[in-house]
Amino acid sequence: MVSMKPQMYLRYFTAFFVFWILAVPVFGQQEDPDPNSPTPVIVRVKGGKRILAVSAETAARPSPDSPNIESFPPNSRVAIFVRNLELMEGEGANAFRVIAEDSRGHMFRFPVVEMHQVKGKIPTWALVFELRDEIGYWGTPATGDVLLRVTWRGMTSDRGRFGYGETGGPLKDDEIPFSRLYGYNPPAITLSKKKDDVDAPEYVGYRWSGDRMRFLEQATFGPTAALDQRIRRIGLSVWLAEQFEAPYPSSFNPYPNHPLKPSNAPADCDNNTTVPDVPATCFRDTYTMYPIQTWSSKETLYGDAQLRHRVAWALSQIWVTSGNNIQQSRHMVEWHKILSTNAFGNYRTLMKEMTLSPTMGEYLDMVRSTKNNPNENYAREIKQLFTIGLFMLNQDGTAQVDGTGAPVPTYDQSVVNNFTKVFTGWQFCNNATLCPNLAVGTVNFIDPMLLNNGSTNINSNQHDLTAKALLTYPGSTTTNIAACANCTTMANVTTYANNSMDQAIDNIFNHPSLGPYISRILIQQMVTSDPTPAYVSRVAGVFNNNGFGVRGDLKAVVRAVLRDPEARGDAKTDPNYGKLREPVQLATNFLRSFGVRSANGQTQSDGYFIGRGEYTGMGQLPFQSPTVFNYYPPGYVIPGTALLGPEFALMTTGTAIQRTNFINRFTFTAIPVPVSAPNAPDGTSLDFSDLQALAASDPTGNALVDELNRRMMHGTMTAQMKSTILPVVTSVTMSTTPTPAQTLSRVQQAVYLVATSSQYQVQR
Amino acid sequence: MKETRRDFLKKSGGCALGMVGLATQMQHLGTMSAMAQKVIDSQPQGGANYKALVLLFWSGGNDGNNMIIPNHNDAAISNYTAYSSVRNTQGLAIAQGSLLPIAVPRLGGLSYGLHPNFGPVAGGLNNGIHELWAQGKLAAVTNVGTLVQPLTKAQYSNSAFKKPYQLFSHSDQVDQAQTCSSLTQSFTGWGGRVADRLTQTFNPNGLVPMISSISGAQLFTAGQGTLPLAISSAENDTNTATNNLQTVLNPGGFGTNPTGTTLARLNAFNSLRMQELSSNYIASASHVTDLAMQANSALLTSQDTTPEGRFPTSSLGRQLRQVARLIKNRDGLNINRQIFYVQIGGFDTHTSQIGGQAGLISDVSQSMRAFWDEVVAQGVQNDVTLFTLSDFSRTFTPAGTGASVGTDHAWGNHMLVMGGSVIGGDFYGSLRPGDGSGNYYPTLTVGGTDDSGSGSGARGRWIPTTSVDQYAAVLAKWFGLPQDAATLNAVFPNLANFATGTFPQLGFLP
Repeated sequence: MVSMKPQMYLRYFTAFFVFWILAVPVFGQQEDPDPNSPTPVIVRVKGGKRILAVSAETAARPSPDSPNIESFPPNSRVAIFVRNLELMEGEGANAFRVIAEDSRGHMFRFPVVEMHQVKGKIPTWALVFELRDEIGYWGTPATGDVLLRVTWRGMTSDRGRFGYGETGGPLKDDEIPFSRLYGYNPPAITLSKKKDDVDAPEYVGYRWSGDRMRFLEQATFGPTAALDQRIRRIGLSVWLAEQFEAPYPSSFNPYPNHPLKPSNAPADCDNNTTVPDVPATCFRDTYTMYPIQTWSSKETLYGDAQLRHRVAWALSQIWVTSGNNIQQSRHMVEWHKILSTNAFGNYRTLMKEMTLSPTMGEYLDMVRSTKNNPNENYAREIKQLFTIGLFMLNQDGTAQVDGTGAPVPTYDQSVVNNFTKVFTGWQFCNNATLCPNLAVGTVNFIDPMLLNNGSTNINSNQHDLTAKALLTYPGSTTTNIAACANCTTMANVTTYANNSMDQAIDNIFNHPSLGPYISRILIQQMVTSDPTPAYVSRVAGVFNNNGFGVRGDLKAVVRAVLRDPEARGDAKTDPNYGKLREPVQLATNFLRSFGVRSANGQTQSDGYFIGRGEYTGMGQLPFQSPTVFNYYPPGYVIPGTALLGPEFALMTTGTAIQRTNFINRFTFTAIPVPVSAPNAPDGTSLDFSDLQALAASDPTGNALVDELNRRMMHGTMTAQMKSTILPVVTSVTMSTTPTPAQTLSRVQQAVYLVATSSQYQVQR
Repeated sequence: MKETRRDFLKKSGGCALGMVGLATQMQHLGTMSAMAQKVIDSQPQGGANYKALVLLFWSGGNDGNNMIIPNHNDAAISNYTAYSSVRNTQGLAIAQGSLLPIAVPRLGGLSYGLHPNFGPVAGGLNNGIHELWAQGKLAAVTNVGTLVQPLTKAQYSNSAFKKPYQLFSHSDQVDQAQTCSSLTQSFTGWGGRVADRLTQTFNPNGLVPMISSISGAQLFTAGQGTLPLAISSAENDTNTATNNLQTVLNPGGFGTNPTGTTLARLNAFNSLRMQELSSNYIASASHVTDLAMQANSALLTSQDTTPEGRFPTSSLGRQLRQVARLIKNRDGLNINRQIFYVQIGGFDTHTSQIGGQAGLISDVSQSMRAFWDEVVAQGVQNDVTLFTLSDFSRTFTPAGTGASVGTDHAWGNHMLVMGGSVIGGDFYGSLRPGDGSGNYYPTLTVGGTDDSGSGSGARGRWIPTTSVDQYAAVLAKWFGLPQDAATLNAVFPNLANFATGTFPQLGFLP
């Protein structure tokens, strides 16, 4: 069995549909298009709840005029018909998913293998799918009617009945169709664009208020009123261009710059054993993660270069190191600089700099790997985790399979052995003439690792000089490194080793799996956990070529992730769309929504809510990943759903309660300035004053809840949810002239309920 | 006095809503709705015929070669010299004089040695678990690993014979140890699949899931219809701390008897969890929260807070203490069968293994012994079996030298099983497939018959002679898993590839 390559026929493609040309970078001044994709509509049997379906077993191009069939045997090929689409160039079968739920409530996904437009007055497309589950979680569906939906770009059709094996059975129809689930009208047929903007008489760059907030949830550490205003004025394109150039770190928040310290902490951190440390925080600032944790925390809450920090944070969950093993905050800072510097650079540069990073070298042992005592750790993980993964991928991120249906491995142990040889001989930079940041008595975690520490003595060579076989793959070029023929001097060894490293990194960098592997993780980190293959393919296409023949341009990739039609839109209705907010995003989004500040409200928060157990309890203490596999794996499947949901690996009965407790703490109290401990010099609190004014202005509570709906849920709060929260708000008595205590309590009730709800905890 | 379900629902006020929510969501998720309904309808009945399995996972790949070491000079079987000749030069060998001797009846009473830190250690709370070997409460299953089918060395390099996918890769080998699915990736763990099939039989009215993880979400614990109760460790042992399990599941801000606005907020908090269940992400998040609220409600009304004995203050010690606490509360939680997952990390000793592994083994031994003493004190030692798994073992040849010497990823490994029902004091395992050659301990020859590698690339990565599936099946059988072929195939899909029968060489449990 060969994996199916979707084909696409778009016969009536017109220029009108060319809104999204993703392969070509969008430049700053270009107008932002309408972000909303229409809601797909399945053609049904006249007047009924049943979906119009025809056999695609024999017909080359099945049409709605073919005989309608009510039930199909398992494994047959079926065509159904979908309307109300606006397809862009190249968009085909892998942009669609056919999802079925059987009478037991189990979910299945039938692979869409072909798509074509059919003749008729109303633009209609046939979706051909195979009647077999491609997820494999629940086995086969129960025979009888199933409820079928089509999803596309995060939008779902309503569900209709479809006979699996036979019709009938104990299935219930949806009481509320998906298209009416939310309190707003989902963007329906958008063929006629609204040109006016009712909110804003002045020039408006981006008038889609729901999408502004959604965009900020994806591109920053949480929307703020100021950012919302900014994007409303200048639009997404210009904002992205601004962010790509924004100074980083923010001027008020430079990288912590504590000096390197000896590995063996002296009895007294400042080397003076007779008196207490000066300053008293010497140990904390040197030998713990406090400086980088509080620094990063302030950058998330207040930083100007939000997008760079967000992308660096995403990359930090790919190229993982951890303060659990790395001793000094300064060491982690140097590793983070590589991530942030290259966040909008080229992935090839990131790979090289990270390979030579002393922090990574320490964490994955490359710094100790020598020709006689090689260590496989880095050689394995750079491929498995940081670049291409274990299985050969198609450009759309699906695994390639062999004749038996098993995924094709990317490499085997012998390839790991060979790469291990390439990465031997680099050491901490400890050479007085070659290492500018060498400090006596400390290990140099600032300068890149240095081959043989720059020694000129050929007898001290630690680099393996034998031949190495690299990865072979379709299109691979240099797959062998010959044994060194002239390594009789250290100068030649150095040249050979550096060339070998570059060849090896190029060999990985040019692997066809790299684009889809990295693209999918970045999409998962920023937008949605289980993207369609079409979305992955579009982004991977940009990774492979930014439009100017450059591979690995992360700026173009980030832009493609954020501007894709599957990312954009005022609201997404696909029930399998979105992602659980990881603890860091939950915390920062929540805090940024309410003017987070110091305990006394006069200055910024000190950023030290992280060390107090909240993040630990929620399962994600920044810069202290438990292992190189990150806090959660990108391939995590949510039990009972068969859906990818990486962050759900952190969602347990225990952490779920910790998440509500985090919200409880910041809603009802604050982190005060401690009497003696120096860790929270300014404390952290929230500013609800604007919401209190809203609460006071409207005794019914509607204004308050509506504002939270806009601010936290970009307008997707259902009528049912609102009607659940309102009585709690109004149960707080409010005088004719409301007191601050009364309005504060009303705000607190509402904020707590929205923020602890799963509807908010899931970013959609 | 036990409370009726009705009393419990009355008392727990708003939280009762959580129970209905659970039923709703389980129905939505297609899981266990019948069971949840029964919970609501019936009265508790717990206690009798109790059994628990505790999986202690050595995360990172524990080097079995330095955990159980030949302590003899018998020439017919790999002896101490075979061990030290490969490991001593680079500083990785454990001195023979320091080994803790264990006699192995299955190998004619030959002496093997446990790593010295399985005995008393400086600053330790107890004597460790070495002495349990002689008491017959501790057994070893040797050269266990992931397999699809039995493999000889010749078969290993023949593509016609199926091998586990992605050997030597952490994440994949962890998954396979936890899923017993080495041919294809599995969404469910074998612990979860056992729980799927036994919950209705043994815990029909259980107030918490059959499986608990004290170490986060783990594939082992995920069944098709089973989610674990995943909670944090117990607090540090101070002997004075409030011995309270329920606090870890208690949402703050509601107090014990909420009224007025606070009660209204609690009700709304519970009610929101039943909305928008058409979103799978929302439903999954709500489902997990609901499990927590349900367990919290149960523990609010029926918690046994008798203090446990002393446990190490390490993460593992506190995890096992939490396990002991849950076992102690089995009646209140109304469960007859429990499966637990605990984990200790740090075994990925590519470097600095001598000191690193020694510290970890101390922790393992001290924590396991504290746990043993506690289950003895609770009188359930014959009902609780603790067993180990790991990613893989580590290369027999060292990586690096001197103080920083370590090892790389390998394959077949040795596992420990502890419990009052364990037929301990011996090795268990299979001989080589086919000709039945070899011993119940791998031949310590680099590039030899048990090494998957040959020639210059050989590192001493032992081809397992016993599959994780066989090992797990013995544990599951003791736990009560029906032994019909359909059930076994569903829980252990590759088990039938092995000549299992009654596991004559794997009878470490009755």
